[in-house]
Order: sequence, then C-alpha cells, then structure tokens
Amino acid sequence: MGLKLEQHETETQVDGVNESADQHANLITVYDARPDLSKPMVVFGKIVRGFVDGRELAWRLFLRNLRGMYRQTLLGLFWLFLPPIANTAIWVFLRSQNVLKFELEGGLSPTLYILSGMVLWQSFIEAFQMPLNSLSQNRGMISKLNFPREALILDGIADLLFNLCVRLVVLIPAFFLFGTSINPLGWLGGLALALLMILFGIGAGLILAPIGSLYQDVGRFISMSTPFWMIVTPIIYVVPATYPGNLLNWLNPASPLLVAARDLLVIGETLHGTPALVYGLIAIPLLFLGLVVWRVSIPSLVERMPA
Amino acid sequence: MNSDTILQVEGVWKKYCRQLKRAMWYGMCDITGQLRLGGREPAATPQLRKGEFFAVRNASFEVRKGECVGMIGPNGAGKSTMLKMINGLIRPDAGRITIRGKIGALIELGTGFNPVLSGRENIYVNAAVLGMGKREVDRVFDEIVDFADLHSVIGDPIKTYSSGMKVRLGFSVAAHLRPSLLIMDEVLAVGDIAFRMKCFNHFNTLTKNGTSIILVTHAVGMLPRVATRSVVFDTGRICFDGDVQQGMTVYEENLSVRATQNRPVTQSASVEGSDVKARISLVEVRDATDNVSDSFQTGDRMRLVVDVQCVQPLDSARLIVAICSPRHDELGSTSSVANDIRPNLGVGTHRFVLEIDRLPVLMGSYYFNISLYGAELTDYQERRLGVGVFKITGPPVDVNGNGLYGTLAFDHSWNFSENIPAPLANGNTDS
Repeated sequence: MGLKLEQHETETQVDGVNESADQHANLITVYDARPDLSKPMVVFGKIVRGFVDGRELAWRLFLRNLRGMYRQTLLGLFWLFLPPIANTAIWVFLRSQNVLKFELEGGLSPTLYILSGMVLWQSFIEAFQMPLNSLSQNRGMISKLNFPREALILDGIADLLFNLCVRLVVLIPAFFLFGTSINPLGWLGGLALALLMILFGIGAGLILAPIGSLYQDVGRFISMSTPFWMIVTPIIYVVPATYPGNLLNWLNPASPLLVAARDLLVIGETLHGTPALVYGLIAIPLLFLGLVVWRVSIPSLVERMPA
Repeated sequence: MNSDTILQVEGVWKKYCRQLKRAMWYGMCDITGQLRLGGREPAATPQLRKGEFFAVRNASFEVRKGECVGMIGPNGAGKSTMLKMINGLIRPDAGRITIRGKIGALIELGTGFNPVLSGRENIYVNAAVLGMGKREVDRVFDEIVDFADLHSVIGDPIKTYSSGMKVRLGFSVAAHLRPSLLIMDEVLAVGDIAFRMKCFNHFNTLTKNGTSIILVTHAVGMLPRVATRSVVFDTGRICFDGDVQQGMTVYEENLSVRATQNRPVTQSASVEGSDVKARISLVEVRDATDNVSDSFQTGDRMRLVVDVQCVQPLDSARLIVAICSPRHDELGSTSSVANDIRPNLGVGTHRFVLEIDRLPVLMGSYYFNISLYGAELTDYQERRLGVGVFKITGPPVDVNGNGLYGTLAFDHSWNFSENIPAPLANGNTDS
C-alpha cells in the first residue's frame, strides 16, 4: 500500500481535551494503489514505526493472554510449570526403563541431552507456527481495526520467550538431578543461538503465514508433518557423523541452530558450529524478509477475511 | 489538500471477487504484486479479472474539520468497503485517500475483550487495541466508567456482564479516543435510549471540539441528530453528497427502487391456480394539475390512477391500495369498498382513481402496493408491489424538537393556557 507518513513537528499543540488530536494534527497519511515496495525505505520505516508504536499493545495482549489463560483454574500459574515438569518426568521414566540406549562422551546424561533438545525444539516449532496462529487468532481484530501489525509479532515473541524461560527454569534443576554442572559461558552461547533459532523460526513462519491464511492446506500440512520433522531433527539421538546422516543436519533448517545450542547448554562446546553459523547469519535477513511479507500482505488478507 | 480538510477521497475504486477459490488465488497474485520492487504506477481505472466486480467505483468526497458525515446506502452499496479503505485496512485499487491527523475507528465494540478478565483490565486492553496509551487511559479511566455507568461492576469479570453492558463498556472506551477523524460503522444502536442520547451528546461535543466524524448506519432516522451532511452510496457509486434530509430521501428512493426490483412486481391469481379475469394494466401517480409526477410536498394533493383490464367479466371488483415506506413497510391501506365503489366490470379497460387530498407523510420516499379482488377476498386477481414510487421533498423535518419529525403528518394545532389551577392533592386530574 502506498502509504506516506509525514509528520511536521511545528504547530504541535498540547492542551486539554484535544491533546491527542492536536498532537497528530499535522500527520498526513496517504493510501493509494501503488505497490508498497515502490519505496522500500518507506516500508522499512513503517516496520520500525510499527514495532515502536506497537510496544504497549503487545504488552497488553501478552498480559491479557497470560492472565486470561489461568484465571479460571485452581492451580493458576502453576500450570505454566506443569507441562515441562511432566515432560521431564516422561524422559526420566523412559531412561529408567532403558528405552534410551545411546551413551554420550564424558558420562553426560542422555536424558538431560534429550530434555534440552526438547525444550529448544518446542521453542523452534512454536516460533515457526506463531505468525500463522497469530493471524488466525486475531482475525477479528485485524479485519476491523488498524493497529500496528508488528504488535502481534512482539506479543508472539514475548510469549515465546516467556515459555522458553519457564522451560529453562524447570531444566536447571534437571542439570543438578543428573549431576551435570552448568557452564555459564556455554549457557550464554547456547541461549544466544536459541534466540537466533527462534528468530529463524519466526522469519520462516512470517513468510508462510500469508499463504497459510489464504490456503488452509499450509496449516494442515504443518500440523501433520511436525512429528516427522521432530524425528528427523537430532533431538533423541546425536547427529550422525557420517554421510548421508550428517547432511541432514545441514538441510534440515530446524537442526543446525538447535543442535549447536543444545551442545553449548549441556556440553559447553559444539562440533557443529559451521552450520549453526551459516543458519544464524541467514536468520536475520530471513526475519526481515518475513516482516516485509507480513506487513505488505495483510491488506490483501483482510480483503479476504469475513466481515 | 486544504488546511481545513481532514479527509480527501479522490477517484477511489475497489474490486472484489465473490468466488472463494478464485479470490484466494487473486490474493496470492496481489501479494506477490505488492512485493515487486519499484512497482508500476497504477491505472486510473483498474481492470477487472474474471469473477470480480467493483465494490466502489470512482468515489470522491471530502470531510472538513468538525463535520459529521452520515454515509448511507443499501446493503452492498460500498459503504463499509470505503470505510475500510479510509481506515487503512485494505488498499484502494485506484485513486487516493489523504487523511490529516489521527484516525479512530468504532467498527466493532469491545475488540480484544477477554471474558475472564475484569471490566477494569479489559478497558486497558481495548484502549491499547484502539491506540490509547496507559497514561492516556489512566487520565480518562473514570470518565470511561462514568460514561458506561458501570461503577459497581467494573471489578467483575466481563463474562458476568449482560450483552448491553459489554457493548456500553466497549463504546465508552472507543468514545474517549481523541482522533482528528472518527469513523463508526453501525454502532448507533447501542444500549437503551438514555445511553444513546448520551452518545449523541458526546458526538456533538466531539464535533464542536473539531473532531470530524463519518458514520455508517442503516438507522437513518437517527442520522439528523448527529450528522451535518450525508453521502449516499448505491451499487458502489456516490449518488448524492449534501444535505442530510435530502440524502435520506435519496436513500429511501433507492431502497424503494430496490424493493420494486427485488420482489416480483406482479403476483397474479394464475400463480395460485385460479382463473384470472382481470389485471392491473396501469398505475400512475399524478399531482393536483393531473400531471404525472414523482415529487410532492407534505399536504399536497395526489391522484393515484389505476387501470384494470378485464378479459372476463368481474363482479363487485374492489381495489385495495397500501401506502408503504422502505423504513416501515406498510403504513396504511384503503379499499375502494370504503367509498362503496365495487363495480361490476365488463370486458375492457376500466379506471379507478384514489384521491388523496392532503398527503399525510413527511420527507422521504414512498410507494404503493395495489391488490385487485372480486366480490370476496378469496376472489383474488392480481397484486402489484412497489409501484407508483414517489418522494416527499419538503417541508424539512427537524430532529431537534423544533418542528415536524418522523413519517406521519397529521392535522393538528397547539393551545396553551397560562396559570391553570393546581391539580388536586391526590393527583387525580381525570375527574
């Protein structure tokens, strides 16, 4: 959409009842049929402005969802911790039953290795699905009101980071339980890679979201293929050292950052730094491309949303 | 753009496709088109693709500071599409929309409400969705609660509110936006009459303080209370831009035409299986000078001429004529039998004339439904619906309680007596 924002800062008046109206009195907004990317820098400016203007809305939506989710429960916020605790218990049980056969060098616990991988995988898949879920959950709001669309992404990111923090809080006692010390530098690097992995997932999800909003096949395909995708990602096994198993670590976009982050968290070092570095470098431009697709496509999606 | 102009719409077009799969594919094409770097200048008139139609065609109008514009038109006329383009939700396919200042929208009340959160919490969520910051809400929080009149329940979850209370809360939050241009879609029918009056007063205060308002409504009767101008849409085009009352008349005229088009004009007895002896062959509305006319003033003389063509003799024929308005449907009817007119009709064409000495309706558009019977109501011949469309162009009505208002005009006079004796102590003045 050819939208032009011009804000002249002179003549701005602030008084009494019309404070806000006067603050914006000289803002000129133009809507026309020119393609958005006829002026790429304008789109970039709008995305940045969308994030800045959408901060408060994102925070309100995050609080609303968090408070609303558990208010009608007896256990309240304890429900935040129950799923990761249950998840940990499942893997501890499986290990005690000798279901997990593989051993790690240095006497590291395979259960902890798997648990860490699961925590990262959940964050990745949630990040990947977040844009499409956000579009479908906020359909009514998007089709009726013009608010900064980036607020929905910020809300999604806040949600993802919050969930990751809760899972990590449960993961830390597991380290002590399995007698593995926490390497602060390894954790720092692991969390940085986990963040890049989340941004990579969001970027890919943002590009797919408009197609998914038009064609429900995309959402159905993602739901159907997620378990298979998890299996081909080295979470409950180590990355194969030989071809073609090791190639999968390169080709599977979920794998490189996840594997390296998990290695850093659990072992404190990684042998898979190169693919992680490549995917880490792709993550930022991919996210930016996703943000452009997201902003540019929403008016076309709103046209096709029910009134 | 003039410094006094808040909104300028110039030659705007918008096309849609109703076929689901085709619309999805066009959506993909539109998105990829928008993603093309350095795109071309769009054409002044967009080309329709297969299955598409124009929802808005070459619309141009302006809204000045402090104006309240009522946007009216039948369903599917393009009003809401235009509102969505003004609000920046969808992009025009051609033309340009320029807005000066901040825009606020009351499209769906209570957007973002979470039922398990309290009214207080939901005010902050809803306000954030509408673009108000926390400090701004803190400042007007009490005003919002006062306006909604929900002091006693503001801490309760809104799932315990009635639907009217929820809408009042949503409206109160939205009404405390301070935009340069406020757009509203079908939100005038909110709450009870007292709350509605409060809303109208609030809108009047907003416009006096320089906020411009565009409101879309089908409740045109309320429009004169707030609007200073009307823009009438019909099949995607702006067919009138000007005075509110005249706009309402044009709107009702369009509705009358649609009423005629949308239902069978003629329902004949043959449909119901009996013999048709006679048909209505002509309906004409004539003025006092016996000229065919479709424009009258309240109180004017009107002659409704109805010709009946008989193919077989019809005994004790009777004609029933109903006067109707698009807003209220049938206002009243009369039968020729009321004047002892029940002629035996032979083969040929015969004429009934209904003389209305003083048209008893106020500004608006009206039409007739006419039915032809034999001796009994079971001896039905034919019915013509939505015929003889005419409009009343004056005198102007007054919504502010200074004159005539509504649909019905009745002969009347007012008397006043000064210092009458006080009523009895028990208050019974009937005796």
